[in-house]
Amino acid sequence: MSPRLRRHERPFPPDERLPDPPRPAGLVLDARLHLLDRQVDDVAGDPVATVDDVELADRDGLVVVTDLLSGPVLATRIFGGRPPRSRWHRIAWRHVTDVGIVVRLGVHGEELDVLWVERWLREHVIGRIPGGRHAPE
Amino acid sequence: MLLSDLLDARVVDDRGRPLGFVVDVRLVLDGPLDGALAAPRLHGLLVSPRTGTSFLGYERSDARAPAVLAGWLRRRHRGTFLVLWEDVAGHGSDDDERPVELRAGYRRWAPTLPPRTGG
Repeated sequence: MSPRLRRHERPFPPDERLPDPPRPAGLVLDARLHLLDRQVDDVAGDPVATVDDVELADRDGLVVVTDLLSGPVLATRIFGGRPPRSRWHRIAWRHVTDVGIVVRLGVHGEELDVLWVERWLREHVIGRIPGGRHAPE
Repeated sequence: MLLSDLLDARVVDDRGRPLGFVVDVRLVLDGPLDGALAAPRLHGLLVSPRTGTSFLGYERSDARAPAVLAGWLRRRHRGTFLVLWEDVAGHGSDDDERPVELRAGYRRWAPTLPPRTGG
C-alpha cells in the first residue's frame, strides 16, 4: 500500500473548505498531471521520447524548469530507486513550443542527444543488413 | 534539483508535525522567456494525506465522470491542499531523505486547477 497518513494523524478536518489561491498570470501546469509520462514529438510530429523527470534550477531567485529528462526508468519504477544522473538525456526547455496532449518541440529529433541509441543502431546494425539503408518498397 | 526529489516526499510543518505527502508540483509559465515559451516557475506543492492515485487529478478539477470513480478518488484525496513555494523552508534531495519542511505561518490553499488559459 502506498504511504498515507492514518486518520488520527491528520492535522486538519478532511472536508475543510480552503480559499482559492492567488491566480497567476501564466498557464498553470501540474507536473505529474500535465508533463510526466507525456510523449515528446519533434517539429515534424515524430515521437522522440517521453518525459520521465524534470530538472529545476534557481534562476534570479526563481526556481524554474530548465530541462525535460528522459532515461532508463523501467527498472527503477518496478524496483525503486532512480537512474544515475549520467544516464539521463536532457531536452532543453527552450526547444519546447507547446504542452498539450503531447509535448511538442521546435527542433528535429535528429538534433537531440536523446536519440543517440537509435542513430547508433541505424548506422552500426540496421545499416549493415542487406537492404537496411533504404525504405521498404 | 529533479522533480522526483520533491514528488512523494513527506511534508511536515515547522514543529515537525506530519501534514501529508507531495502528490504533485504546480508550475506556472510566467518565468523568464526561454525559447518559444516562458520557463515554468515552481509555484507550489500539492500535499495530500495519501500518495497513490492522485495522478488522475480528480481532486483538482471539476470532472465528475465516471461518477463512481470520480466520487471514490475525490473522497480518497479529501484534505489535499496547495502550499506556495515561498512557504517551503527546506526539502531533501537525491541523497538526503529530509522531508519538505514548511515555514511557520504557512497558508493552505484549495488545490483546484484554474481553467486552462494563458500561455
